[in-house]
Amino acid sequence: MTSYLELSNITKAYGNFTALDNVSLSVEKGEFVTFLGPSGSGKTTTLMIVAGFEKASGGSVRVGGRSISELAPHERNIGIVFQNYALFPHKTAAENVYFPLQMRGVNRAKGLRQAEDMLSLVGLKGFGHRHPKELSGGQQQRVALARALVFEPSLLLLDEPLGALDKNLREQMQIEIKRIQRSLGVTTIFVTHDQSEAMSMSDRIVVFDKGRIEQCAAPLDIYHSPQTSFVASFIGESNLIPATVTNAAARIANSPVLGSFDYAGSDNALADGQEVTLLIRPEHIKLSRNPIEDRKSARMTVETIVNYGDNALVIGRAGDIPMRVRVLGADVVIIKEGEECCISWTPDSVFVITR
Amino acid sequence: MGSSLSRLTERTNVWPWLLLAPLGIYMLVFFVVPLVDVAIMSVTDPRVSLVNYQRVLTGALYQRVFLNTFLTAAFVTVCCLAVGYPLAYLMAHSKPRTAMLILLLVTMSFWTSFLVRTYSWMVLLGNNGPLIALLQMIGIDDTPQLLFTRFSSTLAMVHILAPYMIMNIFSVMKKIDPALIRSAESLGARGWSLFRHVYLPLTAPGIANGCVLVFVICLGFYVTPVLLGSPREQMIAGLIGHQIDEFLAFGMGSAMAMVLLLITFVILAIYHRRFGLDKLWG
Amino acid sequence: MNTFKRWAGILVTVFIAAPLVIVVPMSFSSASSLQFPPPGYWLGYYRAYFTDLDWLIPTWNSIVIASATTLLTMLLVVPATFALVRHKFRGKGVADLMMLMPLAVPHIVMAVGYYSYLGDLGLVHSHMGVILAHTCLSVPIAFLVLSANLKGFDRNLERAALSLGASPTKTFIHITLPILRPGLIISALFAFIQSFDETVVAIFISGRDAETLPRKMFDSIRQEADPVIAVISTLLFFLVLVGIATPYFISTLRSRAPTPSRSPAGAH
Repeated sequence: MTSYLELSNITKAYGNFTALDNVSLSVEKGEFVTFLGPSGSGKTTTLMIVAGFEKASGGSVRVGGRSISELAPHERNIGIVFQNYALFPHKTAAENVYFPLQMRGVNRAKGLRQAEDMLSLVGLKGFGHRHPKELSGGQQQRVALARALVFEPSLLLLDEPLGALDKNLREQMQIEIKRIQRSLGVTTIFVTHDQSEAMSMSDRIVVFDKGRIEQCAAPLDIYHSPQTSFVASFIGESNLIPATVTNAAARIANSPVLGSFDYAGSDNALADGQEVTLLIRPEHIKLSRNPIEDRKSARMTVETIVNYGDNALVIGRAGDIPMRVRVLGADVVIIKEGEECCISWTPDSVFVITR
Repeated sequence: MGSSLSRLTERTNVWPWLLLAPLGIYMLVFFVVPLVDVAIMSVTDPRVSLVNYQRVLTGALYQRVFLNTFLTAAFVTVCCLAVGYPLAYLMAHSKPRTAMLILLLVTMSFWTSFLVRTYSWMVLLGNNGPLIALLQMIGIDDTPQLLFTRFSSTLAMVHILAPYMIMNIFSVMKKIDPALIRSAESLGARGWSLFRHVYLPLTAPGIANGCVLVFVICLGFYVTPVLLGSPREQMIAGLIGHQIDEFLAFGMGSAMAMVLLLITFVILAIYHRRFGLDKLWG
Repeated sequence: MNTFKRWAGILVTVFIAAPLVIVVPMSFSSASSLQFPPPGYWLGYYRAYFTDLDWLIPTWNSIVIASATTLLTMLLVVPATFALVRHKFRGKGVADLMMLMPLAVPHIVMAVGYYSYLGDLGLVHSHMGVILAHTCLSVPIAFLVLSANLKGFDRNLERAALSLGASPTKTFIHITLPILRPGLIISALFAFIQSFDETVVAIFISGRDAETLPRKMFDSIRQEADPVIAVISTLLFFLVLVGIATPYFISTLRSRAPTPSRSPAGAH
């Protein structure tokens, strides 16, 4: 049983520079998968190879069991929404949406009706006669989405489509895209460098760095058990503590600064004496005046407090390790900058990353 | 089928050459070859020798014409700058309506044929024209001959070439960020020092552009000097035309043309090394 | 200081404007030679221009030559511009520079070359000869306009069309060409004007049989300063005025058009 979309050992080299190094990935039909990574990490290159605009140096792309590597872009039946939408300025919204149908030989009257239906689905009923420059950014985005979906593509690719929108509109479009994607059940790949976008929209997230897939998992798994320190530091805020496993069977590690630790389950088979990094999310650390029973605790010197209203970020040092603690806004009154206080956590919020 | 063709050509990269070939061949046959023809004529007509160049470079008449051309071109360039810089400044910093009006005027002038503008100056400066009439009105009876003098051709050339200068400087001026001027003012620069240390350096590329363009066009200017200038004080292009038209002296005409071409190329090459030639006409 | 600036501004403006507008009253003058202000007004020279074959034939020649030059220029320049803007290849820098060369060579030099070269080919004094020469001079201008347009062309539009199922050919016809149309039109217009206005080369190679309007005007100004020139100048003046004003008016009309006022909410 193979998956719907299969990337196998995709490699892309520009001269001596390796843009993609052996990227393999399986996506199930109807899944919403996000490619997340910093710019230059290879996520857009991968997307362009799937779309056919870039040619891979090696490896293959299969959709529904059929290899599409040798097909030209226009033969692939893949819908794409570009970052700048790429709406045709000389055509109206309806004509833009009709275009893929026109290319497939659908007659104008029928095609335009279909286009109007699709525009209604994306919430643009009655906007069909407008030219792109008469539409707002969010509306253009919807037209681009309608155009990429109207011909029932085998895949939908979204290349940072929300990058140009302001914050409120962005959140609204995230929900909207997800709704439309669900209702049509189209297999979707979404490229972004925004982790919160990836978190809120995806069935699975693929984290890219330096042309390689670092981790591929459901959003919460990525957040709670990052498998590499890159993923840990790229997704959310994190406190990273170097340590050595002292008793793998009992799940105990030792940090030279903070002493002995219990940690939560790890998928990786660990050995005694192995060097690891322990990850604790800032919101899992509790701040108090005195140590709390049943929790591992340490002393921290507070350096800076950044207030966000509903919560605050406390930055300080435990020994020589920089620590960040996120506390509720109300709790922050108990400490002041320059003071020493107690930080504590439970074993199930400590994750192990192998080095 | 189509895709396999495009993939083949992509790999071997013959596409650009295929697209360029018609124009390349055309320019070779109808641009390069005629130029080479001029070069060949300059050393073969009337016989194979460098005698034409010897005469062009040492003959008193030719030396005078070259010097005259150079001085005229330099003078016209300076005048264009003197007229163009303030006008460009007005266009860039006046109220929109005034700026629009001047821009319209300059654009009109730019697009009006050289010939039409040359003819206009014949009317303006003619013996029965408005300028002479004006002079007589204020009591100057012994009016000078204006037309067919160095004065008339120079004045007309300044008028004809000023739009090149104005457009070049204006396009630089309107891109200057007003915040830059304000910040210079806040740092204590004002009046002359603001202009000298901030505004002038910012507009320098436009000035360089305009000056090179006007100077080079003026060096090879034919129509206006021939129609409006004094027959005794020809410029180089006029003299070349004279050699071809009147004397059928292709060798001499070609040798002078080659010298003119060389001078032009040297100026443009210097500009190209500094700024890039594509900026000059962009 | 401010009044000085104002007067300097007015003076310079008059200097630019006066030679442009003076031909208009001159064209209605009844004087047979250059005289301003005109002693009287009539339309005689307009009638003279529109009935005299000595003027109409050169006008027609100029239109034919400029049209053919435009066509030939565009046929050569459009593919070449795509090659130079869209592709990277060895020798591109040199090719870019070569495109501009005809602008760098003084027209009098080209005139000498064409006089002899087209003579050798038996094309001197022929329409074909002038067209071939003018095309060389129009190429860089058309190229500059078109390449600026093509550089600003968003290639994602073509990618989008391909992804939507349009073949490369269909993408070119349905997307690339229509979007580039304004640039193509302006580019062609510039090529046309370059040829229509070109004087120096035409003086030397067009002869009696392919005499262009600028050549006829040049000869006429040199010999007798026929007042018909004022008529032609006036006509050209208004042609330029219309040419400059039209795009301006279109853009103001467009921007005033009530585009986003039709509310789709009301359509429900």
